[in-house]
Amino acid sequence: MLASEKLAIAAHLHVLLRRKTGRVTDTQWMADNLEYAAEMVRFARRSAEEDGHADLAEWADKLEQAMFSTPQQRTKGAPPQVVSVMPTLRSLLATNVSTPEAGDSQFDSARYVRGLR
Amino acid sequence: MSRKYKMHRFGLKCLLAFLLLLGLNAWAQTPATSNNAPAMAATVSVGASAPVVALTRPGLVAQDTINGADTAWMMTSTALVLLMTLPGIALFYGGMVRKKNVLNTMASVVACAALVSLLWFAVGYSIAFTPGNGWLGGDTRLWFSGLDYLKEAGKVAVSHVAPNVPESVYAMFQLTFAIITAALIVGAVVERLRFSALLWFVGLWSVLVYAPIAHWVWEPGGWLAQRGVLDFAGGAVVHINAGVSGLVCAYMLGARKGYGRESFEPFNLGLTMAGAGLLWVGWFGFNAGSAVAADGRAGLAMAVTHIAASAGAITWMLGEWIVRGRPSLLGLCSGLVAGLVAITPAAGFVTPSSALLIGAVAGVACYWGATGLKRLLNADDSLDVFGVHGIGGIVGALMTGLLASKTVSGVHGDAMVQLIGVGAVVVYSAVMSAAVLWFTKLMVGLRVDDGSEVTGLDITQHREHMGT
Repeated sequence: MLASEKLAIAAHLHVLLRRKTGRVTDTQWMADNLEYAAEMVRFARRSAEEDGHADLAEWADKLEQAMFSTPQQRTKGAPPQVVSVMPTLRSLLATNVSTPEAGDSQFDSARYVRGLR
Repeated sequence: MSRKYKMHRFGLKCLLAFLLLLGLNAWAQTPATSNNAPAMAATVSVGASAPVVALTRPGLVAQDTINGADTAWMMTSTALVLLMTLPGIALFYGGMVRKKNVLNTMASVVACAALVSLLWFAVGYSIAFTPGNGWLGGDTRLWFSGLDYLKEAGKVAVSHVAPNVPESVYAMFQLTFAIITAALIVGAVVERLRFSALLWFVGLWSVLVYAPIAHWVWEPGGWLAQRGVLDFAGGAVVHINAGVSGLVCAYMLGARKGYGRESFEPFNLGLTMAGAGLLWVGWFGFNAGSAVAADGRAGLAMAVTHIAASAGAITWMLGEWIVRGRPSLLGLCSGLVAGLVAITPAAGFVTPSSALLIGAVAGVACYWGATGLKRLLNADDSLDVFGVHGIGGIVGALMTGLLASKTVSGVHGDAMVQLIGVGAVVVYSAVMSAAVLWFTKLMVGLRVDDGSEVTGLDITQHREHMGT
């Protein structure tokens, strides 16, 4: 997707968030930075869920689609992942853990939202 | 000039006037001390060659009744416990707040140490550790009066609670406990409490809340001590007290702006780890020092302290690993503190195996306290003072009742008696903390304004910043 299209979606979400929640966001940064975009998607969905603003959820989906649908952008600058064939202690211990590869940026941006631990 | 601003200025002036008064009173008290000393000596002194008589109140004894090894260990322990606060708690908390509030957090801890020290010297020690009634001690040690060392007469003052060490050493040891208890509360109020409000709150709290509870539990005439409540080194007096007070403060202050919506990135968890390490080391003074002797019981207290800390770190880590998929450094640090908190009331009463169990249970319980329970309580207890210290203290107090070994200490534990002790401390601490905070709000207000909170308290409260 073109950068200008991402920016347009981010700008739309910016306006909605400002109107519905009072939150002021950085439009340009939302279209550039994956972590910030993930946090805004999370925040918009949460507000949609809590306050019943359905259009926030809709535009959060659009931003997510725009920002995270291209795999090569997601791993831009990151080294190729090495998949170990040995079982890790985590895999032995855990039965209900999320895969760290999936949605890492979302997880990290939400890591300290409602507490440190 | 607004009315609110005038009130704040008035509050600050009151604080300054109080500190000035503190200095003048201390100076005026000095002659009374030396006049009082001989009378005390005549009534309660214990000579070296005379049969040992159990003291019922502080007084003068012959210098050769002092145990050198005990005294040396108590002085070492005092330094270790102070190290837990400065810089232990300052680093532990400073690493967990956002960069714009690190210096304010550290300044709060340092200010707590200084202010509580002066108040302990002036009032706290006397009302906590001299005989009075079951609720409050007496006034014989106000301004540390009577803590004498009389070289030519060969006499030195001792406390009836610790007759083998000079009272000056015992008072200083207890002072470091008063400091750390107040400093722990800082973790619940960081990033939005006005600095002057912190001074007001901590000053009043240390005299009106901490000292009476210390008297109830640790002075032999205290009503909880009389009922047989066991609290070796401060599970209730220090940790439950600070935890409950922190929770009340968090409710009354309200959440930080953006709490629950924005990610509050900790400044540097490396600092937090350094602080946790200092806490672990310092806790040997905290628990083993509470034996008030360099003896076998102190040695055992040291061993169980280390075992419980290790067990707490491991169980918190495993819990986090299973639930969240990754073990975190902060989880390990929090778990070791949870284990240390829980073993605090039990340290002189339990065996190493019991310590393993106490630490392991505390690691899991405090992990829940800082996550699941925190969500249930819905308070912005910013650095989880209640989740770790409150829950850990309650777990430790109750397990002391279940696991106290008569072969170790000569006393049996009773879980119901422990529960009474926990309940009394929880209720008194909650009600009085709310009252003190309400009074503080009247004097200087509680929160910084919204703009200051967004800018950060380092700049707005202290005109300092961390640099790049």
